Amino acid sequence: MQTEGAGVWQQAGIKTVHWNKLFVILSMKWRTQFSKNFITMPLFSVGLTFVMTLFYGSMAESNGNALDDSVRGMALSLGALMNTTMTGILCTGMALAEEKEKHTLRALMTSSVNGLEFFLGSTLPVAAMILAVNILAVPAAGLRPSAGGWAMWLGVSALCAMASTVMGMIFGICCKSQVSASTVISVPVMVLVMIPVFGEFSGFMEKASRFLFTGVLSSAAAALAEDTPRVDGFGIGVIGAEIALAALVFILLYRKNGYERE
Amino acid sequence: MTKEYIRLDHISKKFGETTALRDLNAVLHKGEILGFLGPSGAGKTTTIKILTGQLKPTSGDAYVLGIHVGKIDESIYEQIGIVTDNSGVYERLTVHDNLRFFARILNVPTERIEELLKRVGLYEHRKKPAGKLSKGQAQRLVLARAVLHRPRLLFLDEPTSGLDPSTALDIHRLLEELRESGMAIFLTTHNMEEATKLCNHVALLNAGQIVEYGTPEELCLRYNQDKQYRLLLSDGSRLLLGQGEEDVERLSSLLRKNQVNSLHSCEPNLESVFLTVTGRALG
Repeated sequence: MQTEGAGVWQQAGIKTVHWNKLFVILSMKWRTQFSKNFITMPLFSVGLTFVMTLFYGSMAESNGNALDDSVRGMALSLGALMNTTMTGILCTGMALAEEKEKHTLRALMTSSVNGLEFFLGSTLPVAAMILAVNILAVPAAGLRPSAGGWAMWLGVSALCAMASTVMGMIFGICCKSQVSASTVISVPVMVLVMIPVFGEFSGFMEKASRFLFTGVLSSAAAALAEDTPRVDGFGIGVIGAEIALAALVFILLYRKNGYERE
Repeated sequence: MTKEYIRLDHISKKFGETTALRDLNAVLHKGEILGFLGPSGAGKTTTIKILTGQLKPTSGDAYVLGIHVGKIDESIYEQIGIVTDNSGVYERLTVHDNLRFFARILNVPTERIEELLKRVGLYEHRKKPAGKLSKGQAQRLVLARAVLHRPRLLFLDEPTSGLDPSTALDIHRLLEELRESGMAIFLTTHNMEEATKLCNHVALLNAGQIVEYGTPEELCLRYNQDKQYRLLLSDGSRLLLGQGEEDVERLSSLLRKNQVNSLHSCEPNLESVFLTVTGRALG
């Protein structure tokens, strides 16, 4: 029996996954992650975490103090926020826009690949890259979390990766070229990064950041640094709701025009 | 299994208030090339998009390989190949890797890639990034990709548009080979020479409507109303003779005296037929 959810995917033209086709797309998209257009963001994020840790360390040293773990958490938070938004939203959106700009999307979609295979093939490698970079950012910040800390960090990072890649696909659907994608996406990326960052200094921003997946990620970075891992039910609910909302918007847009408007 | 690979039954398409296609009817059989001939904006690409499931018709029925276009899904693409004037290639991948990528999707053995690269003259460029190919080479790569899985039906949208004559000739030879192998080809073009040379049947499309349909020869003869013959005589002079009694006598006399170097009938070509039927040129 078909579930209602499956019905929505079916109506959207999204069907069964053929694993061999998915694997081929995954391999190609994984390779794309390492091209010069896309590898910059993950490298920049790890580098930023490391440089900010050194910077905060030198500031603490000049005041005669040792670098506090909570400050390391701020460096981790900044790197992870940049990675999750820039890699997740910008790279995913630009990759889809590039497929349209270079007319390869139509070639792919008329080669027996279906919408769901393309969606998974486009988002999973980016999500894997986000997760890998968020893991690397932890030692780059000089943190050594407990097993519980790692579990929390990986869980929250994975959920945030899902949210950001689905958002990236939404922007990719709406943009026809890489230039327009990068221009359009930079605004929400700045908002998603800056609200949790300014949450350190403003009560209003701090409250607003609780309702963003990036705010939940930033709090997880702080909890990881202080080695106080916890399951934040409200935070997980926020990320879940944002994933669901993004998925709904994506499906509505996909049902209207597919990946490419005529 | 049916040999009728495409059937268009009263297909119409509207975009808002604009009618793009009006009551199209046509049939394409196995091992044939059907040409849709018309100027830009006549509705050729729209027809291909309807037949390949990328657009829904406003009314009418169309069947591809016996399946109604309303019921086709992505599995149809395992049996058809598509080349459009903006079919892209993965520029960062090499020529070989571009084909390998699609071969893996379509479960095609690797040996087929080598065979095709040699056939389309790209074997020596196989390690070159596709982004560095010339327009003609890129078009050959796109064509190789479209026939990689030996489709039963091939859609070609202006396949030689903007290509040099030598590359166009290579593509024509390949298309003739594919037709001989039993593949059915739906070709859109505004090049009347290409259509005359390759197509078993042509449909002349004007403003979304088929204004004439038949074999290229039938159409040309149908509009050959003032039958005339162009002669080049042995003294270098040229002569145009008609069907009148006097002209026929003169022609037979010249032939008897062996004074004729060349003799051509002056039936119209497809371009003249199109001009006669629609009052507008193809280009």
